[in-house]
Amino acid sequence: MDDYLVSVLSNIGVISFVALSAYLLLLTGEISFGQQAFFAIGAYAAGIATALWGWPLGAALVWGALAGGTAAVLVGLPTLRLHGLYFAVATLAFAETVRLLFEQFRYQVTVDGEQVGPNGTDGFRGIRYIFENDVGSLQFLGLIYALLLAALAAFVLLERSRLGVAFRMIGEDATLAALNGIAVARTKLLAAGLAGALAGVGGGLYAHLTTYVEPRIFDVMLGVHSLAYGLIGGLGTAFGPLLGVLIDIGLLESVRAFAGYRMIIFGGLVALLLILRPRGLLDERVVHRIRRAWFRLLVRPPATERLNRDLP
Amino acid sequence: MSRVRLICVLAATCAVCLPAESALAQVRAKADVACRPAGTLQYDCTIVLTNSRTSEPLIGVTLTVGADMPSMPMMHNVRPVKADPGPTPGTYQARLALEMHGDWALQLNLAGPLRDRVLRTLRFDPDRVTPAAATKAPGHKH
Repeated sequence: MDDYLVSVLSNIGVISFVALSAYLLLLTGEISFGQQAFFAIGAYAAGIATALWGWPLGAALVWGALAGGTAAVLVGLPTLRLHGLYFAVATLAFAETVRLLFEQFRYQVTVDGEQVGPNGTDGFRGIRYIFENDVGSLQFLGLIYALLLAALAAFVLLERSRLGVAFRMIGEDATLAALNGIAVARTKLLAAGLAGALAGVGGGLYAHLTTYVEPRIFDVMLGVHSLAYGLIGGLGTAFGPLLGVLIDIGLLESVRAFAGYRMIIFGGLVALLLILRPRGLLDERVVHRIRRAWFRLLVRPPATERLNRDLP
Repeated sequence: MSRVRLICVLAATCAVCLPAESALAQVRAKADVACRPAGTLQYDCTIVLTNSRTSEPLIGVTLTVGADMPSMPMMHNVRPVKADPGPTPGTYQARLALEMHGDWALQLNLAGPLRDRVLRTLRFDPDRVTPAAATKAPGHKH
């Protein structure tokens, strides 16, 4: 496979994690501009684990997810009392604080005669796990998509579970959900923690894919995009944010004719969709129609029922 | 609850099964990059590759040069171009066509006798290319 195609597919896979992370919070009705912070925490944590501590990649990714999830819960405790614009601004402020903290973060050790580790604004170079362990780009692409499939499977299970219903109920009307016996604060905190962990996994994968990270990678632009993917793709299913990522990176980035004007097209697309389809392309109604059509295809009614239906 | 337990067990299995302890002591590549404007949004780059331990020039490697905007990660990528060997050992030359001026992280991907990736962040202005100062300037300009 062409190296560039592998690189684009890897980027699509990695950014899907942060898009799914923002989507999970959107389900509970909260707009977060700060998921890039947990992506950053996951990236630094997983990078430090392999490059400085010599951990295996799997353990480093779990560590990145734990770091992202824990940070999200800690941030969620005070901020989830806020709603709407206030919550959005609080998450943005937190993300910028994290970015600025990483600009001051220095933790370097000597590895093979070279200083390796986070070095403030110069970033964190030398996350060379995939080269040191001879992991090919296709193998790493496989790992990204295996984890993404696992995340999607978890979302499918979540959507069918009581917890998923609780998330959507809170997203629709938190007061009504509370009246139905749902512990709103606790459930939202759980959503925030899971979303943080998901972004943390994405960050860990990103750090090992590119072999370096630096604080300005995690600025507000990444947060806005991750949020926009859900809004473009749709909030009806976890495949919505992935559709948003595919439209942005898969189509606009890959088609060179669009490249220079990509941000203009992307911004216009977000504005247009917010007006015409406020819950995205794959909104709840479309997802329901697709499911119904799919179900009809798979489960045909019994012959007697069809006969009765055809009779005048 | 059993589903959650199953997912946890799968995650733990993945963590254990993935490649273990990294081989930290390995030859690394060191790169010096100098670029100059060669037209509208085009830059000629000369890359000198050396062995980080012995400082000997790295010859016979297949070098491709890609670029990514640090302020817009995964969103502005330049299709990697293959660098040609230059007149002196360890020297390679590549022409980059960027989408806009600003800070770009050059990804030097080495294949062949040595597989490695080296990153250099440079600021590409219309008239010159300088090392990027991460704190002072905005990420990119349209």
